[in-house]
Amino acid sequence: MADKSDLPQGTLDMLILKVVALGPVHGYAIAQRLQQVSRGVVQVPQGSLYPALHRLENKKLLAADWKETETGREAKFYRLTRKGRAQLESESQSWERLSQAVGLILRLNESTE
Amino acid sequence: MNWWHRLLRRAKMEEQLDKEMQFHLDQHICDLIAKGHEPKEAIRLARLSIGGPEQVKEKCRDARGTRWLEGLVRDLKYALRMLRQRIGFTIISVLTLALGIGATSAVFSLIQGVLLTPPPYAHPEQLVLIPSVRTDGQESTQGWSASQWTEWQRQAKSFDNFAGYSWTFNFLVQPEGSESMEGLIVTKDYFSTLGLKPMLGSVSVEGQDGIKSPWIVLGYELWQRRFNSDPGIVGKTVNISRQKTPLTVIGVMPPGIRFLPVPGASKEPNYNVNAPVDFWMSFVLNQQILNDPFWNVVGRLKPGTTPESAQAELRVIVSREAQTDKNLEGVIPKLQSLTAESNRDGRRILLPLFGAAALVLLIACGNAAALLLVRGLQRQQEYAVRCALGAGRATLFRQVSTESLVLALVGGVFGIGLAIGIVKVFKVIGGHAIPRLDAVSTGWPVLMCGLAAAILAAALAGLFPAFRASRLDPMQTIKSDGPNTSAGRGERRLLRGVVITQTALTLSLLVGAGLLIRTMNNLASVQTGYDIGHILTLSVTSVEPDSEKRTNFHRYALERVSRVPGVQAAAFAWGVPLTGNSWPVEVDIEGQPEPAKPSDKLSFPVRSVTEDYFRLLNLQITQGREFRSTDDGKEGSPNVAIVNQAFVDRYFPNQNPIGRKLWFNGRQKAPHEITGVVTNGRTDDLTKAAEPEIYLCMWQATPFTKHLVVRTTADHRSMIVAVQRELHAVEPTASVEFAKTLEQIRSDSLASRSFAMQLLVGFSVVASILTLIGIYGVLSLSVTARRREIAIRSAIGAGRSEILSLVLGEGLKLITGGVIAGLAIALALSWVLKSFLYGIQPTDPVTLVVVAILFATVALFACWVPARRASKVDPMVALRSE
Repeated sequence: MADKSDLPQGTLDMLILKVVALGPVHGYAIAQRLQQVSRGVVQVPQGSLYPALHRLENKKLLAADWKETETGREAKFYRLTRKGRAQLESESQSWERLSQAVGLILRLNESTE
Repeated sequence: MNWWHRLLRRAKMEEQLDKEMQFHLDQHICDLIAKGHEPKEAIRLARLSIGGPEQVKEKCRDARGTRWLEGLVRDLKYALRMLRQRIGFTIISVLTLALGIGATSAVFSLIQGVLLTPPPYAHPEQLVLIPSVRTDGQESTQGWSASQWTEWQRQAKSFDNFAGYSWTFNFLVQPEGSESMEGLIVTKDYFSTLGLKPMLGSVSVEGQDGIKSPWIVLGYELWQRRFNSDPGIVGKTVNISRQKTPLTVIGVMPPGIRFLPVPGASKEPNYNVNAPVDFWMSFVLNQQILNDPFWNVVGRLKPGTTPESAQAELRVIVSREAQTDKNLEGVIPKLQSLTAESNRDGRRILLPLFGAAALVLLIACGNAAALLLVRGLQRQQEYAVRCALGAGRATLFRQVSTESLVLALVGGVFGIGLAIGIVKVFKVIGGHAIPRLDAVSTGWPVLMCGLAAAILAAALAGLFPAFRASRLDPMQTIKSDGPNTSAGRGERRLLRGVVITQTALTLSLLVGAGLLIRTMNNLASVQTGYDIGHILTLSVTSVEPDSEKRTNFHRYALERVSRVPGVQAAAFAWGVPLTGNSWPVEVDIEGQPEPAKPSDKLSFPVRSVTEDYFRLLNLQITQGREFRSTDDGKEGSPNVAIVNQAFVDRYFPNQNPIGRKLWFNGRQKAPHEITGVVTNGRTDDLTKAAEPEIYLCMWQATPFTKHLVVRTTADHRSMIVAVQRELHAVEPTASVEFAKTLEQIRSDSLASRSFAMQLLVGFSVVASILTLIGIYGVLSLSVTARRREIAIRSAIGAGRSEILSLVLGEGLKLITGGVIAGLAIALALSWVLKSFLYGIQPTDPVTLVVVAILFATVALFACWVPARRASKVDPMVALRSE
């Protein structure tokens, strides 16, 4: 397993929004998804995931319903609201801008070597 | 789900949170089993990965964002439960805070009704009164002449307008008995200058110059009372005494309009500047009165003008007028703001009263803080455990503050109830000291002030204990199983100082109250020189326009009233003792040197009575004779006068005063002969010995209004009806009002002393209660802090009584310190009460000693409960904890 990285809170929110954007999903599935797609780098403990989900729900970026899963159990499914979609858009763009800028700076140092 | 839901459906939300966590756990376990782990291993790994489920839930709850509100609701419920548990503590704290909040709200309500309600005029801040002052500094009661102030109207540029007014007293003539009314004579600009608009009719009297159709405007209260709020009153005529023709009613004013001050009338018995005006009357302006300084003037400043500049301008005009007319010299105008003047008396008594009430509130908060501190110390274990379980400092602070807030709010509710009661009591007893008391209502000002006072009290009383609770170290407290003694010492010293101060203040108040009570006792037994029991007085006026018929009325009235069964004697009198009624007249006495300056002239109170008066009051004629019915001012009968013994002692010592002459108002008129000497009686002031006074015969000097004085054998209430009937049989329109016994007049004359006594007694009772609570609180604090010491003493052999005396001894030290300080304050401030006392010195040692001992004894009782608690400390439990 690759090393775990600690995510700052704002980034975790953004990632959760992205996962939920792909379709309504419950909390456990979000954690699994994040772990799978990032190839094990991003592992979100329950202590961070659920508070984040509740916070996003509080801010009306996510909406929640109780639905049945395939196994027949009831679980709380989260979906993206319009406001959440807009937030995701703006945050992704900022992240892109930031990561580009950081990359430029990092590459700059190498080339002058 | 919004936060409203979150608050109300907490149980449901908790259930959902549980389900979500459980679901996650189960899914994880399933996945692990699917990967190949053993079920037990899977469960363990899954649980490990969660960490602490409660912590996760806590974080989720935090994320909900309503924690603070939920916390508050929970704190409230807990506070209520705790307060219900320790009901004794709750009652005492609530009582303390209720006293403070009630006192403050009551006085604020009075201030709002009396001082803060603006007078009913348009832009009252522009209105100024213009009384006159003498240039030599002496008081002036004269007004301005019409020629003078009409000149001001023409010349003065800083004023919009002027209006003249004067006080008058008349009777509404009615066939079943006339009624007295007080009102103002006004010029035609009066209503427009003051900005008064009538409720009915109109007050614009342009074109009515007062001669052809004299008009009258009725006051609301009179219209309601006497005319049954008749909406068609405008245009009707009313009969007024001393007026040749009936007056036409042209309007009715809205309620609550009161008099403007008339210094020249302030000695009139019915003059009350704070009463609502009964009527406004027109004045016939004729030539000879044009120069008589009769008018009082009120002016409206132009917007933007300062009173100083207006006064300067007016003084210039007046000095110019005085140059042309020498009679006008010696008086200058002095502007007074109308609102400031009407609030002057009220402010003088209400502001100190508010200061005293605020002091009571502060003391009450101090007491409540002490009690809460004691409670806090007793609950330190509980706070420590909460801390250890994870409650933050802010949470603990909030919880303790909530308790004090609940106490303060409950105290506030009771305090508001108390305030309403206090205001009612004030309205009954304070009428003569506090002006316009009838305008005070207990409405929203009481509620607002009560609420504000409660929040202030919660802050003052609760902050300190809350702060202490949030600051304690949980480890130390749990280990020691008892309060931390060293941290309490500084506060205990502070609280001891506060309690000693409280005791001192209370004691000085009690001494004052004791002195006044003894004064009232002394006054009750003072010898007046005349009889007071069984004597009834009625205010009687004949409104007959013809003077011959008026004289006959009085003679027939006396005859008929004397024949009423139960009446022993009857007489008319102007100058009944203790009413303050008399004519102050300058008198020249035969044999006395001529006065050099006008200010040296001798002035005496002159009274007017009929023949049986002295016999009725049981005053003896020691020399000469009584008045006779033949002393009637007709041709052939000389002017007679009777003087009292004090007059003879001062001006005719060792001589025979009979036959000596007195000149009233200058030697030009015929003199009065002294025909009799009567024994002294305290007619002006119960507390002073009799002064020289002169009596005239009523048939020679007839006042408009007088008292009918009747000596009765039977109950006076039944007499009143019979006497009224007889008087109306002689003249149906006669005014017969204000029946009072001489005893009632006597108590009225002592009204300000009684009021001061009642105020002081009230304040001392409140202060005593608060101080006793304070002593109890401080002693409880001390006992709680000294538990270990007491336990050790008890363990090495101290008996219950020894521990009792230990604690009581500490209490006694506290009380003694306070009592001594209090006696010192009482002695130092003794001069304040001097003018109220009678027959007793302000430093009377008996009163001081008795009050001190009484208070100390009661205070020792307050120490009883903590002392008993101390004696019940179980040494084993207390010592084992270390």
